[in-house]
Amino acid sequence: MYRYDEFDHKLVADRVNQFRGQVERRVSGALSEDQFKPLRLMNGVYLQLHAYMLRVAIPYGTLRSEQMRMLAHIARKYDRGYGHFTTRQNIQYNWPALDEIPDLLDELACVEMHAIQTSGNCIRNVTSDQYAGAIEGEAEDPRIVSEIIRQWSTFHPEFTYLPRKFKIAVTAHKNDRAAIKLHDIGIVVKQNDAGEIGYEVHVGGGQGRTPFVAKKMTDFVPKAKLLAYLEAVMRVYNMLGRRDNSYKARIKILVHETGEEEMRRMVEEEFAKIDASEMLTVPQEEIDRISAYFAPPAFETLPADSQAFSQAQADDADFARFVRANVVAHKQDGYAIVNISLKPIGGVPGDATDAQMDVIADLAERFSHDEVRVTHEQNLVLPHVKLDDVKTVYDALAAHELATANLGLISDQIACPGLDYCNLANARSIPLAQEISERFSDLDRQYDIGELKIKISGCINACGHHHVGHIGILGVDKKGTEFYQISLGGAADENAAIGQITGRAFTEEDIVDAIETVVTTYTDLRADGERFIDTYNRVGMAPFKERLYD
Amino acid sequence: MTDYHLVIDGATAEESWIYLDDDAALSDAPSIISLTRLKDQAYALAERSAPLGVILRADGLGKTDLGEDVRELAPFIDRLALIAIHFPAYRNGRGYSAARVLREEFNFTGQLRATGDVLYDQWAMMNRCGINAFELAADIDLATFQTALGELSGAYQPAADQNRGALWARGK
Amino acid sequence: MAQHAAKRARFQAVTANRLSDGEVVYFSPDNRWVEAFAMAEVADGAEAAETLLARAMPADFEAHVLEPYLFEVLEDGQAYKPASVRETIRAAGPTVRLDLGKQAEAKAE
Ligand code: HEM
Ligand code: SF4
Repeated sequence: MYRYDEFDHKLVADRVNQFRGQVERRVSGALSEDQFKPLRLMNGVYLQLHAYMLRVAIPYGTLRSEQMRMLAHIARKYDRGYGHFTTRQNIQYNWPALDEIPDLLDELACVEMHAIQTSGNCIRNVTSDQYAGAIEGEAEDPRIVSEIIRQWSTFHPEFTYLPRKFKIAVTAHKNDRAAIKLHDIGIVVKQNDAGEIGYEVHVGGGQGRTPFVAKKMTDFVPKAKLLAYLEAVMRVYNMLGRRDNSYKARIKILVHETGEEEMRRMVEEEFAKIDASEMLTVPQEEIDRISAYFAPPAFETLPADSQAFSQAQADDADFARFVRANVVAHKQDGYAIVNISLKPIGGVPGDATDAQMDVIADLAERFSHDEVRVTHEQNLVLPHVKLDDVKTVYDALAAHELATANLGLISDQIACPGLDYCNLANARSIPLAQEISERFSDLDRQYDIGELKIKISGCINACGHHHVGHIGILGVDKKGTEFYQISLGGAADENAAIGQITGRAFTEEDIVDAIETVVTTYTDLRADGERFIDTYNRVGMAPFKERLYD
Repeated sequence: MTDYHLVIDGATAEESWIYLDDDAALSDAPSIISLTRLKDQAYALAERSAPLGVILRADGLGKTDLGEDVRELAPFIDRLALIAIHFPAYRNGRGYSAARVLREEFNFTGQLRATGDVLYDQWAMMNRCGINAFELAADIDLATFQTALGELSGAYQPAADQNRGALWARGK
Repeated sequence: MAQHAAKRARFQAVTANRLSDGEVVYFSPDNRWVEAFAMAEVADGAEAAETLLARAMPADFEAHVLEPYLFEVLEDGQAYKPASVRETIRAAGPTVRLDLGKQAEAKAE
């Protein structure tokens, strides 16, 4: 994992001091709220319904155990004993006091973490595949380029007051777990025929009020040229993106309004100019230096199978179910990727208590080469666990309500904070996720239903990714009461798609029944081996609509 | 654009320029004119020997208009001693790109000035994009300005200034 | 922001978040910001509401609170209650964490 050098440390410390000054100037009255707001946002501080909210960046979703332990400590000391892992691989604290945030940030900085650019109209925290470096079939660890992008985009002097926020995601695998096509820029790390590493770049994806799947701008940017290419995209956007209407300000609207071809032409033209100076060609030594941090950990040479692991599954049916749902093959023989679901039945999706975070930090330290990952589906991952240790890890997780065996199933839902916390919400998301999870709590039924992604947002901003849920649920407000709209057929993977709205919205009382109707329509219609999304893509909206509204 | 004091290259400076409305007559004083006038009167202006400046405006152009296009200045660069970039609101960062294009693509070496709604915390970023002159509100002193410029000790990426950025400097 | 004052609301109160810690506060009859909704001043009619909001926003209001606004309240027997789900949640706390927010403090008392 990347480790700060003196330069990184100093810059983060400078930033905390700068923010401390800004908070003081706000409190003393030297700054008005209108002036302070963009500054606090640039440091991850929002105002929610009940308190401020602090969003802490977890670059490309990778944490060391000491960092996870610090997140637990912060939850205890500055918050109310929990944190919320988000779809952007960040963690949010819901109750910090403004005047304590500079101290909190000082503590975070001790473990090389910060809240820089987790909000505001700048380039946000770069996200990536939670299985990076652990899964078979990657062209290269996507965190290498993610880290280079993190550094390049941090305090970028030209791109800190963009028309709107800007999100970049990276994957290096054919199965996209980072939803790269739903980002302002999505990057696929790949190898060309000559064996060189380079990048396929997608531009103009996004959710919010007008969702778009990104357009492929180029097939292959050579490794050393990526920053020049990104800077070209950013400059075109900063000069031509709309600033008159915040709903039309994302790059997706620019790409849509100018057209894919014209956008590509402008980017290429800008790229040629920027690249000519070679100023943004990253030196090989620096690429090597950063790559070295992501070298594989010291794996032991082990047989591909573990007797202990097989035996434990035979002996313990619950463990066997956990393995089936949450454990994924590792690229290294004798190891596994262990997913930790933050979706216990009836729980708050993505929430973890300080005690749970401590437990996970300990497990990472003892059994996973010190690493934890955060997923955009609001779960956690221990990426490098020996097969022999999986049962021990499972037992420890189970003792802390962290062993729910539901990864990718109907109760593994994404839900934004919604009206329980969020200032912009129309309706609550979390209680709905809880009710759905209770309704389908029977694991055997969940396995029978199979892969099904429900994603819930409390308003059209789509923080809960409802547009790309197999089943999406959007909270709407009608005269101060909550209603919920359903959409079907969305997908956030390599076959990214925006879901279609079924029709009129449902009341709070009716929505869970409506979801059940959708599910039984699927189970009635599915062919052998079809997942929900396959059936939907085959039969279309009509049968679902019929059952929902007749 | 009254009531400011100027800082150029980090030091307090006398204002030697005047902003001229389009219908005001040109004098021998160093004058900052609009892009429209620059384009309309290009030939007449060529006769004039006094220093010429232009302001790149970002407002008053209609609601959905983005602001003037920096690349329209290309034919005139050699004749300009000053370019003022107008920031209509501190949130509007379009001018940062204009500044870098002027410095890095057009190699403009004259005075590059920020005017309009510019906050304390933005001076350093503007400076990195090549802006070297600032119109500061009367109650902001030079020391405050210099503190703001030094708040972040380094940079990761190159821009229009001398700082190559850590991603490039580390290897050296 | 959704669910703000309905134009035809009869009763309204003023709320904001406190600068130092973001706590939900209400403007009281004695011109203070108080934590309990029960202590909020309730204005009857549009004109009274505007006067109340003006009182809550003297020149230096930003030194204490963020973004004060009016919201609708309804008569509920002897007392008042917020009209919208949003303001009900602000006045109590998250519905998914009854151990947190004002509702928790009320229980503890
Ligand atoms: C106080 C809490 C929050 C506020 C005020 C907020 C605000 C917003 C807004 C205004 C947008 C729309 C942006 C646009 O369309 O241009 C948005 C989008 C988004 N937010 Fe949030 N958000 C909050 C919490 C969260 C949380 C908890 C998550 C993660 C679970 C999240 C992840 C996202 C994502 C993934 C998008 C969609 C990005 C896109 O449009 O492409 N946000 N948010
Ligand atoms: S989707 Fe809406 S309600 Fe949910 S967190 Fe985002 S802004 Fe808030």
